[in-house]
Amino acid sequence: MTVPSVELICPAGTPAALQAAVDAGADAVYLGFRDETNARNFPGLNFSRPELAAGIAYAHARGAKVLVAINTFPRAGKPEIWHRAVDDAAKLGADAVILADIGLCDYARRTHPDLRLHLSVQASASSAEAIKFYHQAFGIRRAVLPRVLTVPEIAALCADVPIEMEVFVFGGLCVMAEGRCSLSSYATGHSPNIDGACSPASHVRYVEKGSKVVSQLGDFTINSFGQGEAAGYPTLCKGRFSANGKLSYLFEEPTSLNTLEILPDLIGAGVTAFKIEGRQRGRAYVGSVVSAFRQAVDAILKGEKLPVMTLEDVTEGGRQTAGAYQRSWR
Amino acid sequence: MLSDSTEQVSRPVDPPFSPVLLAGLLLAPVPPRLLQPLFDGILTVVRRRHPDILERLAAYPDAVIGIDPVDLPFVLVLEPWPESPHLEVRRDFSGLSPSAIIRGPLAMLFALAEGRIDGDSAFFSRQLVFEGDTEVVLALRNAIDGAGIDLQADFATTLGPLARPLMQAVDFGGRVFNRIADDMETIRVALLGPALRGAVAQSSRLEEVENELAEMRRTLRAREKRG
Amino acid sequence: MTDVGPNLAKLSLGPLLFNWPAEQIRDFYFRMAEEGPFDTVHLGEVVCSKREPFFAKFIPEVMDRLTTSGKEVVISSLALVMAEKERQGVRALAEADFVVEANDISAALALVGRPFHVGPFVNVYNEGTLVYLSGMGMKRVCLPAELSGATLAILAAQKSCEIEVQAFGRLPLAVSARCYHARLHDLHKDGCQYVCAEDADGLAVDTMDGKPFLAINGTQTMSERYVNLLGQVRSLGQAGVSRFRLWPHHCDMVAVGRLFRNVLDGQLDAKAANRQLAELVPDAAFSNGYIHGLEGHRLIDDDLLIA
Repeated sequence: MTVPSVELICPAGTPAALQAAVDAGADAVYLGFRDETNARNFPGLNFSRPELAAGIAYAHARGAKVLVAINTFPRAGKPEIWHRAVDDAAKLGADAVILADIGLCDYARRTHPDLRLHLSVQASASSAEAIKFYHQAFGIRRAVLPRVLTVPEIAALCADVPIEMEVFVFGGLCVMAEGRCSLSSYATGHSPNIDGACSPASHVRYVEKGSKVVSQLGDFTINSFGQGEAAGYPTLCKGRFSANGKLSYLFEEPTSLNTLEILPDLIGAGVTAFKIEGRQRGRAYVGSVVSAFRQAVDAILKGEKLPVMTLEDVTEGGRQTAGAYQRSWR
Repeated sequence: MLSDSTEQVSRPVDPPFSPVLLAGLLLAPVPPRLLQPLFDGILTVVRRRHPDILERLAAYPDAVIGIDPVDLPFVLVLEPWPESPHLEVRRDFSGLSPSAIIRGPLAMLFALAEGRIDGDSAFFSRQLVFEGDTEVVLALRNAIDGAGIDLQADFATTLGPLARPLMQAVDFGGRVFNRIADDMETIRVALLGPALRGAVAQSSRLEEVENELAEMRRTLRAREKRG
Repeated sequence: MTDVGPNLAKLSLGPLLFNWPAEQIRDFYFRMAEEGPFDTVHLGEVVCSKREPFFAKFIPEVMDRLTTSGKEVVISSLALVMAEKERQGVRALAEADFVVEANDISAALALVGRPFHVGPFVNVYNEGTLVYLSGMGMKRVCLPAELSGATLAILAAQKSCEIEVQAFGRLPLAVSARCYHARLHDLHKDGCQYVCAEDADGLAVDTMDGKPFLAINGTQTMSERYVNLLGQVRSLGQAGVSRFRLWPHHCDMVAVGRLFRNVLDGQLDAKAANRQLAELVPDAAFSNGYIHGLEGHRLIDDDLLIA
């Protein structure tokens, strides 16, 4: 029997976060350019070309890889911005690019045949057939699975496809199938798929109403917080809405995915890489989450007991869920 | 689009009882212009050591960012224009209309600047509040977090040979500061907690708070004599 | 302006997205076969595989009637394919002898080597993807709702396949593994009791302060407003859009279809058509923001689209 191994793929929104991730034991760091070519196109975030070059040097010197997410869908009539991102990632020595768009996969395959391609979660490839399509058509070497599958479904998938599987283990949780959600553009006119930002800050407002703070996205109220209640960023699918006269977190509570307890099951399912979400979070978050998962993964691989760890401080709303990995989430 | 920031009102942060607050009381009579050279120095350090902060804010050339350390009697105004950035000390924001204002206790602003705390968590728990353009605030947060600021190292580099004795002094001061902070937290919890929980009438609460402040000062003085 | 005379764009009746009783669906399609002004009618369950078995037994009969009345029938595949049973369903579609619209890329793989259509749940956003899928055999694509008129024109100008645009009905905005109808009723998807059947046009979702915003339909999230491109179909047709999709709703879809046909044919102006549409779906609010490159929920009151 071969000893299982698993890579820890960690987020970096800035060079400082990249260093924090590498220093905390990341096997690979994923990041994006400072523009709409990646799905975390938030103000003040992401890497310039020189920053990427320096980040790759820092990571490679310490045995870590750098994966460049170019995982939005090129705007019709403007594919050059996305093509240039792929070209530059290849030129600067990225270990892989993470793509979602079929046309862009095709471009990368034709233009840079030696560049390793990963399929972004934004491609929403949720079945063996979908993954095989990207593998056969573009030579995709690894797919990041959408956060819609249960652990047994993931195990079945791993057995059925010829490439590596990567799953999210911690952080923000898309409630909808990734890359197939237009809620944010319906409210703001900016498409997460094209512009790279869900619930963009330019359309977020916090308004005082009596003793409450109301968070708004575009023209719509997303949530309201009473005195002493922790406020949240108005991500659409984690807001409070009313249906059938019932006010509730209809889609999902403000919560973070945390799979520490089911990591052994995920390794057992045959997953190659664990991904931590949070390129938009600070380096304090990156450092603490990465080192917690480094310890956990090392312990599991050595057959030791999982160390007791709490990550409530960095989770959204202080709440955690195993999400779709457990069937009851559906 | 968020165009009209004036209609947004922030939830004011009550300054926590802390050594910074007391230092602030001491600083109250000091005119801001006397502090300006200190902040010119800080900006020089930022420009030299962390040019990427201003680069990350380059998308907001017209932004005027207010920083309000709520436990100090002055505020800062940052204009991150790439060619000629300004960091000005003022008594308050009167006569200005900042694109965004960030308010919080000094200790937390420092912790945020050094990336020791998670900005999202601080915002969500309302220990930091902001008003105005969310995009500018987020950009500033990300720019500062991304710079990897280490205030001690930054100043050590800038100050050159003076750094070592100064840092030792700072370190000693820091330890004293921390001890006092711990003591004050104990006092605050012991004295103020029940008062705040039960406080309904503003006037009686104010009176209690004033009495407690007086009591705290007495306790501190007693400690200083002993220490 | 050269915008006179009939426009050759065709009309499609999209697959029914809601959970209606099977007999009611059958009768709905019987009427479409007899009276519907649609060139193409889509069958097939797109939203939730749990709904699939109920109507399945009527499909051969309904297909037969539609085909006999001269309508093209297309079977739309499931949008989110995860479970083994769902994967089998996709493979079965690919082996059957009718035109299939792929709503998930897994279906496209199964359809390689024969002509197929692609639905709005596959992300076709740009020329690169359009040309690639056309090379695989895609003959027609119904584009995602959030694309602007300018983008639609760029894609239509590629002339690599037929371009279809969603022109009426609640817009499908998101799909999930989780069922929101079940969640609202404190149930799980596995034991959902088919509560989505209670809402024939989906269930409206309001903001906390009572503003209509979205609608839920089982695992699907939709716009509360109905998209309405009566004012834009002619200019879109001129820009190369060859087909418009109307989503079935619990209203007189024959009459709704005729309004669109008459506007396309130049027999009815958009303003009059809009007034009539408002009478046909009195409870609906309309939107056309996406086509103007704006927030999807907006209603822009003009007919201009592509300058």
